[in-house]
Amino acid sequence: MSKTVTKSDESLDPVQMAVMANRLDGIVREMSNTLLRAGRSAVISSARDFSCSIATAGNELLSSAEGLPGHIFGTQLMTKSMCELHDDLAEGDAFLHNDPYLGNTHPADHGFLVPVFFEGTHLFTVCAKAHQADIGNSIPTTYFVGARDVYEEGSLIFPCVRIQRGYETIEDIVRMCQARIRVPEQWHGDFLAGIGSARIGERRLVEFCQTYGKDLVQQFVKEWLDYSERCMVHEIRQLPAAKLHNTGAHDPFDPVLPDGVPLSIAIDIDPDAGKIDVDLTDNPDSLPCGLNLSEASATSGVLNGIFNCLNSGIPHNSGSFRPVELHFRENCAIGAPRFPHSCSVSTTNIADRLVNMTQSAFAALGDGYGVAEGGCGLGVGMAVVSGEDPRRDGRYVNRLMATTNGGPAASKADGWVTFAIPVIAGLMYRDSVEIDELKYPIHIKTMRLVPGSGGAGRHRGAPNQEVIYGPRFAELTAVIPCDGQVYPAKGVLGGHDGSLGASYHLDAEGRATKLPNITRVTLKPNEWLRGLDTSGAGYGDPLDRDPEQVLHDVLERWETEDRAHNVYGVVLTRHTDGTFSIDETGTVTRRAELRSNG
Amino acid sequence: MSYRITVDTGGTFTDVVVSDGSGRFFVGKALTTPERSFDGIRSALAVAAEEMRTHVGSILADTELLIFGTTRATNAIVTRSTAKTAFLTTEGFPDILVLKEGGKFDAHDFSIPYPEPYIARRHTYEIPERIDAEGGVVAPLDRDRTRTTLRDVAKEGFQAIAVCLIWSIANPEHELALGGLIEEELGEMPYTLSHQLIPILREYRRASTTAIDASLKPLMRGYLNQMESDLRTAGFKGELLVSTSVGGCMHVAEISERPIHTVKSGPAMAPVAGRIYAETENVGANLIVCDSGGTTFDVGLVRDNRLVKTRDTWLGRQWVGDLISMSTVDVRSVGAGGGSIAWVDAGGLLRVGPNSAGSIPGPACYGRGGTEPTVTDAAIVLEYFDPEFFVGGRMPIDADAAASAIQGLARRIDKSPEDTAFGILTIANELMIRAIQEITISEGIDPRESTIIAGGGAAGLNILPIAQELGCNRVLLPETASALSACGMQFAQIIKEESANLVTRSDTFDSEGVARTLVRLRATLDEFRTPMAQAKDQDIAISFSAEARYEFQVWDLEIPIPGEALSGSVDVETLVEEFHRAHERVFAVRDTSSVVEFLNWKARLTIDLPRNLPLSRDIASTSLPPSSRRNAYFGSGNWIDTPIFRGQELPAGSRIEGPAVIEIPTTTIVVSPGMTAEITATGNFLLQDRPDATELQDIAV
Repeated sequence: MSKTVTKSDESLDPVQMAVMANRLDGIVREMSNTLLRAGRSAVISSARDFSCSIATAGNELLSSAEGLPGHIFGTQLMTKSMCELHDDLAEGDAFLHNDPYLGNTHPADHGFLVPVFFEGTHLFTVCAKAHQADIGNSIPTTYFVGARDVYEEGSLIFPCVRIQRGYETIEDIVRMCQARIRVPEQWHGDFLAGIGSARIGERRLVEFCQTYGKDLVQQFVKEWLDYSERCMVHEIRQLPAAKLHNTGAHDPFDPVLPDGVPLSIAIDIDPDAGKIDVDLTDNPDSLPCGLNLSEASATSGVLNGIFNCLNSGIPHNSGSFRPVELHFRENCAIGAPRFPHSCSVSTTNIADRLVNMTQSAFAALGDGYGVAEGGCGLGVGMAVVSGEDPRRDGRYVNRLMATTNGGPAASKADGWVTFAIPVIAGLMYRDSVEIDELKYPIHIKTMRLVPGSGGAGRHRGAPNQEVIYGPRFAELTAVIPCDGQVYPAKGVLGGHDGSLGASYHLDAEGRATKLPNITRVTLKPNEWLRGLDTSGAGYGDPLDRDPEQVLHDVLERWETEDRAHNVYGVVLTRHTDGTFSIDETGTVTRRAELRSNG
Repeated sequence: MSYRITVDTGGTFTDVVVSDGSGRFFVGKALTTPERSFDGIRSALAVAAEEMRTHVGSILADTELLIFGTTRATNAIVTRSTAKTAFLTTEGFPDILVLKEGGKFDAHDFSIPYPEPYIARRHTYEIPERIDAEGGVVAPLDRDRTRTTLRDVAKEGFQAIAVCLIWSIANPEHELALGGLIEEELGEMPYTLSHQLIPILREYRRASTTAIDASLKPLMRGYLNQMESDLRTAGFKGELLVSTSVGGCMHVAEISERPIHTVKSGPAMAPVAGRIYAETENVGANLIVCDSGGTTFDVGLVRDNRLVKTRDTWLGRQWVGDLISMSTVDVRSVGAGGGSIAWVDAGGLLRVGPNSAGSIPGPACYGRGGTEPTVTDAAIVLEYFDPEFFVGGRMPIDADAAASAIQGLARRIDKSPEDTAFGILTIANELMIRAIQEITISEGIDPRESTIIAGGGAAGLNILPIAQELGCNRVLLPETASALSACGMQFAQIIKEESANLVTRSDTFDSEGVARTLVRLRATLDEFRTPMAQAKDQDIAISFSAEARYEFQVWDLEIPIPGEALSGSVDVETLVEEFHRAHERVFAVRDTSSVVEFLNWKARLTIDLPRNLPLSRDIASTSLPPSSRRNAYFGSGNWIDTPIFRGQELPAGSRIEGPAVIEIPTTTIVVSPGMTAEITATGNFLLQDRPDATELQDIAV
């Protein structure tokens, strides 16, 4: 049964377009499923730190389904470098790309690009991009904050290098990786999963073209991007005209950045023109460490923050990006660092602050707009751990996803509990205690949410978590690139800030030593790491929170009785049978009292 | 005369199918009576009895076997009306049910609240103990503190207890001891131990499944006892079985111990029915079984004549709902059905669902105050449904209301009402196509090599264009399509599955350990089969499978273990090759350099029950003219003069060429232009797009 669709000179009807767009999202989901199920390292197969997408041959991002915004919003920059560097693209090619100076996010993200041909024409490029457990850095981490430059960072860099020709793998490249990347068999499994994912995308796109024919597909691509642009313009037109300015900061990193990294953003919303202009030029010069933001990371951070403030349901592709104009400055840490500065930690720390700064700026438009800041920082529970596993007679290395920061509150809901960090926004999975203990020789003692820790507000931020773990048999090295231990997530419109994170070393006698936010630590058996994440910030005045919700929070241990009384001004009566009820009059009085205290 | 009765008690309707042993099947439908299910069953039986020219009492008295399926458990979970249940878990990990496994659909949507855990945080108790990954005791169970906790539990008025301790699958000592303490301190309190119910890795999956099971125990025990006693009082003397989510059935006593097996057991039966119809009609061993109702479209698979299973069944939405990780028939649902609402988004695109008009107010054409255009309204506008013959003429239809609802939408997208209506169907189809693709293509299965079996009240409306889009050239719509699940039970087997966790690798394969595990699994199943009254040896089969993965992977593929494994020698080479093959099929790559890890071992006992197969009719040599004609719309820009047939009047062997509409009391089949419907010898409808011209019988059109 073949479809009978004829190309017309008129535009596609809305039905046809929806059908074809859904089909592309389906292809991206199938690519993602492949990578998740076939991947080897926990960071890919458990935590889902990867994304798949489809770009056009003209290098516009077309479809990305549930990909991480941080990964996919720059795909078009990567495919562009593929086209510019290779004038001999052919069916059967595949490229490995992890160069942050050529459109990639950071070196730890290995992107697998496959140009898709139909009837001899290059029509699409599929991209499967995954955060690797290790990339051969000079120390065992994929987030090297201390790297003075790319040389100290030490990653193998692939500036869009051909790894398959005529569907055959170029084994030289594979051997280079195996000679340098820690636990090479784990990397090789992830490599195969990445290639498998891109090839499945290719196969399905060819079928897509066979169904609809080349002309119709090309017409669809153009119109789908135009449609996406219309959706975005429509949303921008709903906003008030405004010039917003906001600031933020990354924590200090001693001794390189004793005051941290001050950040600022200027957003000009022009609803009449249906445009948003974002200026990021007033930010520090390239930093002498791994915190610089590549163009891809800075672009995604801002777009991510903007989409967080708009109605959901807008397709996220180059069409909907059109009405947003970004300004970067050459040799600036945000979006245009100068080579050879390192972008090792480009996707998280400052990128998270950028998402926060953007989305909270919109709150200045008034109640109902914007989002508070989300908890950030890769703490103890998200460290890269490595060492020897005597159970397997081998080494291990992996990024844990054993805990998460709290999500930000917004105008309609409390923060999302399994938020992780702003660039992840709850999309990734969490590790299972049993899987982590099976795969790596660690013992996890505790993993629990901390009551009363979420930033208070009419809607409150999600709480932080506590995690304690340590090695079972031999030494364990943990590299922790944390943020959020000095500057908290900020509340908006009267909402309170989130709580700060902290990392501790517990010795065999149980004595705790506080660790620096960014650190590398080696533990012996019977020694432990204890981590507290950051919580999300609140939205609106906590004295306006519905007392029924406060009661529920106390009953369900999200909040404490003490904070209900002193922060939310809700007076609860505890009955003899252990139940609570709200003292309505007491609450009115208490809230008035707290308001007058200011 | 000896009858077999099968019952599917749904949320709205109770379906009953009675077979009389001579190959005849009688379907009865009545409204479900939640307060006492037997009342609804009796009403539905009365409908069937009328057709059989007898009455309920004599059917029940002459019934040898009654298989009963219920959505009682599913509904209790959805409405959160299960027992007040305490969750007991390892100290340090109180938030297992809150944190789940993470994941979210839309990164940019901050308007959705985080879901409440299945068991409230204040009903969670931490137990002082800890086992490690190899089963070693890190911290012994503190019995005194545990007793104190259990006394607190007693004071709080809990009705059930769920126990899931970290690594209980590696060493069940602490869970067993805790079970003993519960019995000592709390007497008859129902409880579930995770390692006994579901010995799988990953604490959230095990805990969630255990919590759901425990919370159903008080309710389902009462419910099943009531049902049995009502049936006995009404004169039923035969064997009573309950259908389960693995597509089989179990005894009432067994189900009372593990009520979670009844959750989603209804949809699981549709593929069972599909498999039997496919066998009868000889349409192949690879099937896509679709069940389309008012609000959802359910899809299940049969592959190589076996039901496809999953360990990821979400109640509610993926990631944010509650997970059942028992192996169950894999049935995916999308929110696309007759009641799905069509709308236009901000960018001017036509969308359908996921919001549904439900049964109240229902589609505009129900005339109960609904004004939003739905899929059913679109079908009315296209003249696919005869307003006089909707649900066999038992339901009045307001065609004008449907027309004006569609008209409003048509103006907004600047199209004719019929093109808009046709567009709504096309988009609804697309959602269904995606559901089918997800379960087929993403698992490496090509829908073009499958036959579609279509069931459910809305089955005939759009199954043909869906099949066409998927490249499937054969669709079977059973005569009893509207009661597909109850029909499935007519052919159910008794199925019992057991699994055990034993981790071993291809390079250091623990042959002895594996052999011991398989022998133990077999012994457990042998114990179960002894009390089965109807089973004869030749009807009993036991099969084994393993869940395996490459080293460092964390998701498993299930591979069959060849029969000779039972003799004690498991050939690791064969298992490894099976695994490579499965991996390449699903993920496009194989890695022969990698070690393969084996984790779970499964055994499955199936007992065939004697079946009453559908009766063949004589092929008629005559053909019937259409009962009427009307103009219908098939998207070409023109209304087409279309013949309408009454399905029940058509003799076996008739072939009807599209465009045509075939009306049967419980569904309407739309035969699009270029397609053909054939009435088979057993009265089912076989729909194809390439009619073999030489076999064509002339139907007067």
